[in-house]
Amino acid sequence: MLQTTVILSLAAVILVLVNARKTGKQLKGLKLGLKQLLQTIPLILCAFILAGMIEVLIPVEFVQNWLSKEAGLRGIFLGTFGGMLLAMGPYAAFPIITSIMVSGAGLGTIVALITGWCLIGLSKAPFETAFYGVKFFTYKLLVSIPFCLVAGLFAHVAEIVLM
Amino acid sequence: MCIVVQSEINECHGYVSLAGELNQKGRFNMKRSLIIILIPTIIFIVIAYVVGGSSLILNGLTISMNTAVRSALMLLVSFVLIGQIQVLITKEMLDRWLQKFSGIKGIIIGALAGGMFPGGPYIYFPFIQSFNKKGMPFYIFIAFIFGKNIYDFTRIPMEVSLINPNIALIRNLVTLPIPIIVGLLAKQFYKNRTVESIFLRAGETGASDNRNS
Repeated sequence: MLQTTVILSLAAVILVLVNARKTGKQLKGLKLGLKQLLQTIPLILCAFILAGMIEVLIPVEFVQNWLSKEAGLRGIFLGTFGGMLLAMGPYAAFPIITSIMVSGAGLGTIVALITGWCLIGLSKAPFETAFYGVKFFTYKLLVSIPFCLVAGLFAHVAEIVLM
Repeated sequence: MCIVVQSEINECHGYVSLAGELNQKGRFNMKRSLIIILIPTIIFIVIAYVVGGSSLILNGLTISMNTAVRSALMLLVSFVLIGQIQVLITKEMLDRWLQKFSGIKGIIIGALAGGMFPGGPYIYFPFIQSFNKKGMPFYIFIAFIFGKNIYDFTRIPMEVSLINPNIALIRNLVTLPIPIIVGLLAKQFYKNRTVESIFLRAGETGASDNRNS
């Protein structure tokens, strides 16, 4: 965790310097980021509480049977469609995904879950349908599902081989 | 359970710099997102009380608080990063890129431009729609949409800090080729046709224009 914070801090410092040199808008960027953080804090806190509740409520047997490394394709399949149903922004979705991971879900399931959330999350459906029609939404959904499953499968294999 | 939160907006505040009028809309949607996430939270608290009484709720809250404390500094840094990315990447820059390239270069640039576009779907759809009217091929359009969905560079700090750096790395590596593959497939199947000629019937374009004007 400390290592991640240090890396992120370094990246932030580099970007501030790049902005100072290229655009001169580094202070505007800082204000924008902090304003966004303040606006998002209630949502993040709420997501943390929801994630905590999910973590204590999710039955260990369910995770072991359906989401763990041993669940294999079943977990990847569930992860993909779970991601689709997790129709919320990253601040809300990521703590929930973490709670499922901490409960013992396999890497394949988690990668399928995140990819499913990225590609076929239902929060995008109204916009895709409104702008390009039901046919576009359906095609995108049908094309995306195999990619989510394959991404999960790759991660599952990586987990077996590497860990 | 389907938890629908209209919170792509969470990703969108950066677009204040591109479209100031969206600020108010963003705040409205943020409130709506909060209300909508509160509902499942309350439901889960009630379930926790029924299943294990107040001690189970306390366990859940302790986990939540520990996560919040652990993530606090990382969150702060993540938002500093997000703010800087948002002022560094301008609409004009992405405009230039998308109009300049075609073929495989167009697909890669389209996917990268999508990843750099720091907004929610009601920002990036109108943005990319303006290119469709200029005759942008469907394969670049779809590479942009998938690039936005898969890469979204402003989301990476959140993924690293809220999930796990290793998981974020593996997820990003595994899904890296997806927008490119989708772009290539679209090029193979639809050649230089536009999204409107493929998915929208005559007359629908006008309706869509009106909606976004």
